[in-house]
Amino acid sequence: MVSDWILLFKMMKNKILNTIGMAAMVLVFLTGCKKLDLIPEDQFTDENYWTSEGKARSVLNTAYSQMANSATFFYNEALSDNAVVGRGDAEGVASISRGTFDPSLVRFKEEWNESYAGIKTTNIFLENVDRVPNMNEDSKSRMKAEARFIRALKHFQLMTWFGDIPLVSQDLTLEEARTISRTPRAEVLSFILSELDAAAADLPANTELSANERGMLTKGAALALKARVLLYEGEWQQVVEVCEMLMNGSNGSYALFPSYADLFHPDNQYSPEDILSLQYVPELRTWGEFFDFAPISVGSRLNAMAPTQELIDSYLMTNGRTIEDEGSGYNEDNPYVNRDPRLTATVVYHLYQWDADGGTPRTIYTRPGTAPDDTGKLDEYSPGSSASPTGYYWRKYYDPEHSSNMASGLNLMLIRYADILLMYAEAKNELGQLDESVWNQTIRPLRERAGFTDAGALTFPSAGQSALREIVRNERRVELALEGLRIFDIRRWRIADEALNGWVHGARFGSPSDDGGYIRVVQRSFDESKHYLWPVPRDERNINKNLSQNPGWN
Amino acid sequence: MLMLNYDLSWHSLFPFAKLSGAICIYNKFYMKQNSTLHQGLYFSKARSLLRVFSLSVFFSSAFLPNAGAEVLKPALHSHFLFPSSQQIAVSGTVTDDLGEPLPGVSVVLKGNNSVATQTDIDGQWSLNVPSAQSVLVFSFIGMQPQEVLVGNQTTVNVELQPDVQSLNEVVVVGYGTQRRSSVVGAVDQVNAAALEGRPSANVTQALQGASPNLIVQQPNAEPGAGMNLNIRGISTLGNNSPLVVIDGIVGGDLNNLNPSDIESVSVLKDAGSAAIYGSRANNGVVLVTTKKGKKNTRPVVDYNGLAGVNNPHFFLKPVKGFQNAMLRNESAANAGVASAIYTPEQIRQFQEQGDYEWFADEITQSAWQQNHNVAVSGGGENSTYLVSAGVMDQRSNFVGPDKGLRRYNYRLNMTNEVGRFKLTSMLSYSRREVTDHASSTSTLMVDASRVPLYYAQKDSLGRYLTNDVLQEFNSLGVLEKGGFRKYDDDNIFGNLTAEYAINDNFKIRGVFGGNFYSNHQFGRTLRVDYFPKGISGADQNTYDESRKGLDLNTQFIAEYSKLFADEHDVNLLLGVSNENQSSRGTGIFKRFTDPDLGTPVTETIIETRSYTSNQGAAENSLNSAFGRASYSYKDRYYGEFSFRYDGSSKFHESNRWGFFPSLSLGYRLSEEDFMANYRENIGNLKVRGSYGVLGNQNVDNYQFRTTFFTFQNAYGFNNSGVGGTGYNFANENLRWERAATFNIGADMDFFNGALSLSLDYFNKTTTDILVPPAVPGVFGTDLPDFNSAKVANKGWEVATSYRHNGDLFRHFISLNIGDTRNEVVEFEGEERLTGREELQILLKEGYPYNSYVGLKRDGYFQTIDEVENGPKPEGLALQPGDNRYVDVNGDGIINDDDLFVFGNPFPRLTFGGRYNVEFKGFDVNLFLQGVGKRTMMIRGESVEPFHFNYGMTMYEHQLDYWTPQNPNAEYPRLADNGSPSNVNNYRRGSDLYLYNAAYLRLKNVQLGYTLPESFSSRLGMKKTRFYVSGQNLLTFSKVKFVDPELSEFNSNMESSGANSGRAYPTMVYYGFGLDITF
Repeated sequence: MVSDWILLFKMMKNKILNTIGMAAMVLVFLTGCKKLDLIPEDQFTDENYWTSEGKARSVLNTAYSQMANSATFFYNEALSDNAVVGRGDAEGVASISRGTFDPSLVRFKEEWNESYAGIKTTNIFLENVDRVPNMNEDSKSRMKAEARFIRALKHFQLMTWFGDIPLVSQDLTLEEARTISRTPRAEVLSFILSELDAAAADLPANTELSANERGMLTKGAALALKARVLLYEGEWQQVVEVCEMLMNGSNGSYALFPSYADLFHPDNQYSPEDILSLQYVPELRTWGEFFDFAPISVGSRLNAMAPTQELIDSYLMTNGRTIEDEGSGYNEDNPYVNRDPRLTATVVYHLYQWDADGGTPRTIYTRPGTAPDDTGKLDEYSPGSSASPTGYYWRKYYDPEHSSNMASGLNLMLIRYADILLMYAEAKNELGQLDESVWNQTIRPLRERAGFTDAGALTFPSAGQSALREIVRNERRVELALEGLRIFDIRRWRIADEALNGWVHGARFGSPSDDGGYIRVVQRSFDESKHYLWPVPRDERNINKNLSQNPGWN
Repeated sequence: MLMLNYDLSWHSLFPFAKLSGAICIYNKFYMKQNSTLHQGLYFSKARSLLRVFSLSVFFSSAFLPNAGAEVLKPALHSHFLFPSSQQIAVSGTVTDDLGEPLPGVSVVLKGNNSVATQTDIDGQWSLNVPSAQSVLVFSFIGMQPQEVLVGNQTTVNVELQPDVQSLNEVVVVGYGTQRRSSVVGAVDQVNAAALEGRPSANVTQALQGASPNLIVQQPNAEPGAGMNLNIRGISTLGNNSPLVVIDGIVGGDLNNLNPSDIESVSVLKDAGSAAIYGSRANNGVVLVTTKKGKKNTRPVVDYNGLAGVNNPHFFLKPVKGFQNAMLRNESAANAGVASAIYTPEQIRQFQEQGDYEWFADEITQSAWQQNHNVAVSGGGENSTYLVSAGVMDQRSNFVGPDKGLRRYNYRLNMTNEVGRFKLTSMLSYSRREVTDHASSTSTLMVDASRVPLYYAQKDSLGRYLTNDVLQEFNSLGVLEKGGFRKYDDDNIFGNLTAEYAINDNFKIRGVFGGNFYSNHQFGRTLRVDYFPKGISGADQNTYDESRKGLDLNTQFIAEYSKLFADEHDVNLLLGVSNENQSSRGTGIFKRFTDPDLGTPVTETIIETRSYTSNQGAAENSLNSAFGRASYSYKDRYYGEFSFRYDGSSKFHESNRWGFFPSLSLGYRLSEEDFMANYRENIGNLKVRGSYGVLGNQNVDNYQFRTTFFTFQNAYGFNNSGVGGTGYNFANENLRWERAATFNIGADMDFFNGALSLSLDYFNKTTTDILVPPAVPGVFGTDLPDFNSAKVANKGWEVATSYRHNGDLFRHFISLNIGDTRNEVVEFEGEERLTGREELQILLKEGYPYNSYVGLKRDGYFQTIDEVENGPKPEGLALQPGDNRYVDVNGDGIINDDDLFVFGNPFPRLTFGGRYNVEFKGFDVNLFLQGVGKRTMMIRGESVEPFHFNYGMTMYEHQLDYWTPQNPNAEYPRLADNGSPSNVNNYRRGSDLYLYNAAYLRLKNVQLGYTLPESFSSRLGMKKTRFYVSGQNLLTFSKVKFVDPELSEFNSNMESSGANSGRAYPTMVYYGFGLDITF
């Protein structure tokens, strides 16, 4: 037995050695053939990316695209009393506006994550652009200013929703991102303001842009954003100062476009009124929210967000009076005549004359049982159907040159000159300085441009500060309807308790016993003790124990 | 039949006894064992040879005599001095248990292997033996060997019995084969018989229920849809699909194979058997071996055909139209809507007009499925061949222009021997053609099933109708007129193995093989107009995409095997290999093409997502060295060590190489002398165990590098698009995932082998699991996989079979059942909650992966008082009949602090069973399959009435909703979307959406009849069997409105949304089959 074992081992040893030797040779041969250091063909690595100005600009373009998106731009309107979502929960606005949410709502996480994604792009840009060899210094400083603007904008958006937020002024490691805490709001605010000042210094005026640069950030955009930041803070004097920098022509050239309705037409993009707009390109980079906004008979799919009766009611009569004023001439049975022309430019109502694509106008029937044909019936109010839950549809921002599924390349204006005038008027009033000359610089030209001719609407009303406040605030509401700004005004004016509670109404197609026959669409609930700030997203606090929460949430 | 009563085995250490004519009387049982042992020697030799050929089972023992003699020489020395020089000529016929002649049976003179022959095509043999005392050994793989004393006979006819113990069955293992008795790993082999006669569209489907813990799930029954294949559950957090090895070549596609070509499928489950595949074996290995011809046989022609009809079956059933209208009114009224949606007149009208056909029924129809295969095989002295061709044709159940899947398979497997040189060449070609509609199936299904029965889909003028539920298009219009997608995928799979035997113990072989594929897709969407409004396919898209790829696998293997001193059986194997995969593709997408031809016209736009072949080019490579050393002593004690050393291009240089060893031990307890009594009265008993480390490199290429990629139209200036740059952050420290696996098992048989039983227990801990870490949003981007988790996975398997051959009836029963349970042991100390529709799934220490998380229902609020005093979600004004949830922290508010962890979606206690009975020419086959435990998430309109105002019909199972008269209903009270009640009941994710998806399914039934041979042969056929086959005939499950077999997760455990109710219908199949052998 023992000898057998020895024999076995001897033989094994020799064979194994031989085999290993052979295998090793083959292995050497093989690995020489097929290397394991493979390099991607369609991607750059960090080592070979930052080589040209064009590549740096390409990163910046991504940051531009992260400034805002069309979905929140539009659907945020339904966070306010201007619009209501009757179907689905796009961008979480149904849950938020009804008060039926908690920190796990996806919208909060998306808003948070997408904002920080934009911030990351700008930080990556700012931290690497100096690696680009032989880059023109002027274009470098301009591009840095663009990146800083976008970074400030993202922080501003976050701060507005959430209050205290982590301030991310340089690219974070994963470890830092997991432990960072919220920076006090005041500190974020001063960062935003100083960054916008720095950006404004290095950005060109809109008059300095070449034609193919239209849509790029300008000095005017930085100042306008600064004005908005200050407005939201109630820094009235500074608002006045910054607005004047834009109104006096020293930082570019801005003016109201002559026609309110045509301002939102593709032919009139890049008008002097456009200070900052989100850029879209027909067919190539489009938004399609109108597929769920326009009357169904003109080719939309269904209605996902509709104007409220409350918005319709806020439009003045052509004589400048509100519908509730004595002698306004308002007729509840014929409510859409003699109204602020911006109503027709914004909202589609019963018997609206829809002219699009150059043909004969189509009459829109929204009152139940009035449409003469099957197609027309699609727009009629019918509870639980795909038609509008309020009996109203949208017109403003409808792009007659849309492609299929209402895909539009129309730019969406984030800040326009009308807003500057309204900010100026509001700040002046808060300072007790809204006089006839300020009126004639602000509200009057806006109303003239809207198409008012009656002196009652155009002349400076001799009213006290608080009456003027209501006038300016209402002017702001109708002028900027469907531009996603109303919710921020409600929040800063602290009027949510009134504006965002109770039933939201539609047209007078409902049961006469309820609310005078105005359709009760949904009931809303706003808790002043906690709803003025959004809760920090739950997932974020699960990962990062250092993130505190806003009052009233856990 | 004569039985030999004395021992002539070389195993005996007393040759003197033989010479002196002394007779050692052993008990009968021991003799039998001895002969098995003897046989074992042959087959251990055969195994080496088989390995040499990298071939499979049915190599006859044609070249055993020579080789065997070599082995035996040292043991036999010169004891065989035959006393008589007189030669006796003996001849005869060998048949199988059915009386069929058996070609290729080895006939060897016991004690002198140089006196040997094998049977010819007709089972006949002749041999000159030295004396009347000569004993002949007849052996054939799969049959029990038999020994016959020649005595005074000159004609010896032998009938071999099937080897029910299958200890001599050859089992395909990594880079070779082993005899069943010496297998010490957890290996299951599924043979061709288990796959036959079922209308399986692909091999994965055919494997369902065939082996314990080989878990096959069908996310969707659509022709051409993928299946989930999993071995032993969830042990990693990414892709859990096993490695597929076809004829020794790593990485083929099971779905391109013709199920009829398959000889066997080995499932390597434990580290002991799988470690030789190292870095990819973490999820187990499936080894597929295709059929080959047999030596020295006339050409055999086999035809198998199966044709039948697939009938769509829906588990959902919508309520009647007028009933639905009333329910909608009730739901609206409950939500506080003052005006009724439907007036009493309308409801009466719905009732009077009767219901239209449910859209889902209207878009589906019965469809044909056919499988036809012809194979010709045979072999000469030095070569074998098999040529097969097959076609599988499964028509889609959707209406409209012809759609479905066709697969053509062609295969040529050849072996050639020239002296010590052996060449095996295999070449297969497959072509898959799928024609599909231009939309997405789930969209079509959900749209069709959501519409109440008072709407029609098409009117008498042939117009496709839209309505309040479907505003843009309907499924019928899309299916009939909306265009198509056509896929045509060509695949050539080849394998060339050259082997040289340097001597009888030492062989080298080179294997070169690979998979070349060329996949192409062409699609068009066509514009369809609807009435009164709506358009689909307005963009008139036309597109083409093609992708070509080449996967190459080169191996060099050296193998040494020798039996020392009669009892030390040693096998060594060492190899090196490279595997590399590369593919490139192009795609062009156009919009606004000509409506008739799809050609470009003035308006045509080439979309920017069109791509050239440098975009999306992919390449990876893996270099490996591997080996196995196995040793057995007296065929009683077994030890095996195997390893693999892999270097992958997917990791950074510093983490590139991984070493994956394993050790296995086995002990055939019943071979011990002290177990003689047991062996005689009960049967065989083997225990085995293994421990080893396996790897996983399932990450994308280049993930360890931070990369920047450019794309078009990121943004725009001056109404022109400008490009942008995106980035993928890297994790340079990416390294292999490693799974330490322990397995212990036992194989035993009883009642003379009639009953066999295998038991396995395993415990596997995977560390450094590649999974994306929990990344805070503040970080600003996702991160690729990190080695950041650890998962333990435990389970067991039982497989048993019983065979009883009576005088009239022959029964065969097999059952298998397995269970796995995984638990996340570590995840960076974090938890990851990911939203899955209304619920969330959890990745957290101490819980099974992807456990569902949500609120737990606590009945319903029954009274206003209960509502006022009970816990409620914030901001919700509730009513009696609404869900009441368990308030964990008792604060009266239902929120994230009140979440529970529920079950997980992975199936547990999976089982399969077959019963086969034959009576005269008749046979019955039943195949049952099911799952003992699974939590299935179902949501959407099939759970929630009038889901989000998208679904507008209720289904019959939903009628059990809460009313004051029905306080213990299945579902809460009706209330429209958006109402606080609806938000509470359906938007707050709870166990309402979780269902028990345990099921038992009669998967397949076959009733067959085989013509008597006499009758067949008159028709020129050797064997003719025809049968009827039925699939999915009966299902037993607690969840009634969805097919419980559907899964909301794919094999990567990624959720496709818990919308199983929106799947292609389940198919119930009836068909007729014919098997003919010429």
